[in-house]
Amino acid sequence: MKSPAVLPFKPCTVSWAVLLALTTISFELGAGASGRMLMAAVLALTLIKGQLVVSHFMGLRRVRLEWRIAMAAYLAAVGGVIALAYSIT
Amino acid sequence: MKYQSQAVAKPYFIAALALFVGQIVFGLIAGLQYLYGTFLFPELPFDVAHMSHTNLLIVWLLMAFMGAAYFIVPEEAQTELYSPKLALLTFWVFLTAGALTIAAYLFVPYAHLAAITGNAVLPTMGRGYLEQPLPTKIGIVLVALSLLFNVTMTLIKGRKTSINLILVGSLWGLALLFLPAFYFPQDTVKASFGWWWIVHGWVEGDWELILGALLGFILIKMTGVDREIVEKWIYIIVAMTLVSGIVGIGHHYYYTGAPSYWIWLGSIFSALEPLPFMLLIAFSFKMLLARRREHPNKAAMLWAMGTPIMAFLGAGLWGFMITLAPAQYYMHGTNFTAAHGHLAFFGAYAMVSLAIISYAMPLLRGRVANSAAAQRWEMAGFWIMVLSMIGIALALTGAGIVTVVLQRAAADPMPFMQVQDKERVFFWLRELAGVGFFVGLLVYLRSFFISGEYEYAGEMKRALAT
Amino acid sequence: MNAEASAIRAQPLPGDFAIWIFIFAELTVFGVLFAAYAFARSAHLELFNAAQLGLNRVYGYVNTLLLVTSSYFVARASLSIKAGRSTACGHWLVGALGLGGCFLVVKLAEFHQDFAQGITLSANLFDMFYLSLTFFHFMHVVMGMAILAVVARKAYAGRYSAADHTGVETGGSYWHMVDLVWIILFALVYVIH
Ligand code: HEM
Ligand code: HEM
Ligand SMILES: [Fe+2]
Repeated sequence: MKSPAVLPFKPCTVSWAVLLALTTISFELGAGASGRMLMAAVLALTLIKGQLVVSHFMGLRRVRLEWRIAMAAYLAAVGGVIALAYSIT
Repeated sequence: MKYQSQAVAKPYFIAALALFVGQIVFGLIAGLQYLYGTFLFPELPFDVAHMSHTNLLIVWLLMAFMGAAYFIVPEEAQTELYSPKLALLTFWVFLTAGALTIAAYLFVPYAHLAAITGNAVLPTMGRGYLEQPLPTKIGIVLVALSLLFNVTMTLIKGRKTSINLILVGSLWGLALLFLPAFYFPQDTVKASFGWWWIVHGWVEGDWELILGALLGFILIKMTGVDREIVEKWIYIIVAMTLVSGIVGIGHHYYYTGAPSYWIWLGSIFSALEPLPFMLLIAFSFKMLLARRREHPNKAAMLWAMGTPIMAFLGAGLWGFMITLAPAQYYMHGTNFTAAHGHLAFFGAYAMVSLAIISYAMPLLRGRVANSAAAQRWEMAGFWIMVLSMIGIALALTGAGIVTVVLQRAAADPMPFMQVQDKERVFFWLRELAGVGFFVGLLVYLRSFFISGEYEYAGEMKRALAT
Repeated sequence: MNAEASAIRAQPLPGDFAIWIFIFAELTVFGVLFAAYAFARSAHLELFNAAQLGLNRVYGYVNTLLLVTSSYFVARASLSIKAGRSTACGHWLVGALGLGGCFLVVKLAEFHQDFAQGITLSANLFDMFYLSLTFFHFMHVVMGMAILAVVARKAYAGRYSAADHTGVETGGSYWHMVDLVWIILFALVYVIH
């Protein structure tokens, strides 16, 4: 059973390219001065990167809903805790 | 019993139980001395009772582990033990050395014992659990080497299962981790490091692997679940134990003169130490639910299922309460620690020893399982001991809280002895629960004197009738 | 959702279930470490901001690229074996191992420079976290490479097939976890300030 060939590339190849791009973007965002919005953006990009790894590298997009929720919840929890700690400073 | 040489496990198990009785007797005496300070003084002062209690605990657990190794390694390796004669000789050496040491504690003043056993040449005596005179310590090493030689040779010539590799490997670890016992520098910081390497290294590292291997073996045998599945779980538990336990040793470094980063490393990693105990519960119950057969030895199954739960309570829960640096700042060395020590030692290591004994002894006595009547006594013993131990732990916890409130955290701390007076009610409760424990132990031991084996036909008829 | 699509979604976790217990346990460990870092930083903001400047962020950036790419190679290895191509699977895994090796070399070079700069566990709280976190992760990379090496050998030996390749997915899942954790670690320790 083939997935619909909308893209000429495999989903994991696309994810890989996106991951490299997002890494570069957050690296550049972090180069300058700090700022609440900037750091929130970096954190959001990081969570997106994490979800890409989970969905397309680990292949969790194909598994039962509970597991996808568990992983997403993990990322959300880690991101939430980091955001919380940064917002109380 | 599949191999003749497994029979050498029997004297080890019997001696372990006898020493267990001795341990509890000394515990009861020490507990009473908490209430009546001069009880049995000067014949048997508190320090001697305490030392005999804890040393007997260690010795009987080692006896049980060794018996377990002599029982399990040949069966897993599918070959006779390399040298049953050596195993038997080792048993007598160990038992004699243990008995002589306790006798020396009782009849020779400690300082004098130190003087006549060469403690001046190589100082090793005086630290908790490691009070043994030098000749005994050397004896322990020789006994361990003999065991290791025997089981390793058996392993080499036989089948190498994961259970066997983990068991033999962790017995090597047990022996190696004992070596800091010979390192007792003047510097109290270094001395305390060396001491914790043994104590923590054993109970929160190496012995957890032994626990995993023993429980894995029992569950493979009793549930008939695929070995492969059991082994995978055991590997994960071993890995988590090492991930958390090695750096977790930092929870003993906080206020001893170690660099301050240990406050963080010790807190974080030791906070994760309950994880392997949680996995142990998940594992055991998964195996129970996936069982392919009903083993007639219900008592052994009860011990095997009770062990991870009690171990989690004692080590995971009570350990967690005292492990974070800010908590330990107030709780270090209070009866909270004693509550944790009791519940964890009993729940993890005493109970897994009783589990393997419960599984193996009927086989060693030539039957698959004991009669239903004997099992009823054994299971009654289980419940009385478990509940009493929870009682001991709660009483000690109460005492610990009083110390923290009146002495450690108070703006105007009350003197130590006055606080002890306030805790009298808890010391009474502890002693009463201790008596309960002793009764449970006697009930348990009674089960060994009910003869006969499990009668399938009779039990079936009875089950159908009701 | 039609029946076919929901059937795809109902697949079990890739690889052996046991590795997932371990992965979730490890994620918990790292999660606790990250939380501790974040809150320690809030309590010592100035110190963290100053000490963070001592890091050369390029090391972290390069290592992220390496690890992400390595993880991608492992995903390709898994696709190859599903198509029944064992040798291709082996090649992708060797590629991933090579990138993992590069990660270790870069990290060691960075450690070397750190020590020359006087970064130690006792120097300050940030350095303590930085060193312990990255060293702890370093050990996971080593462990993940050991697993991948075994899987690669088996792949070349033809022990996996399109029908039976749980081993590849088991080792791969662990490796992706190591990658996932690094992605968060990189942002937390090197980037966010
Ligand atoms: C079965 C496993 C365990 C056993 C048998 C055990 C036993 C003991 C004993 C006997 C002591 C007292 C040592 C002494 O000072 O004489 C102790 C201390 C301690 N244990 Fe455990 N333990 C176990 C697991 C754990 C775990 C998992 C944790 C952490 C989560 C933990 C945390 C501690 C701490 C923090 C202390 C020091 C308390 C103080 O400063 O007074 N233990 N343990
Ligand atoms: C009749 C039951 C028992 C009684 C009355 C009893 C009593 C005592 C007493 C009075 C102490 C000295 C505490 C101190 O140093 O302040 C002690 C220490 C200890 N007992 Fe027991 N005990 C009993 C059973 C057990 C059992 C079944 C175990 C484990 C299997 C055990 C393990 C220990 C340990 C590890 C210590 C040292 C704790 C520390 O120093 O923190 N006891 N016990
Ligand atoms: Fe410890």
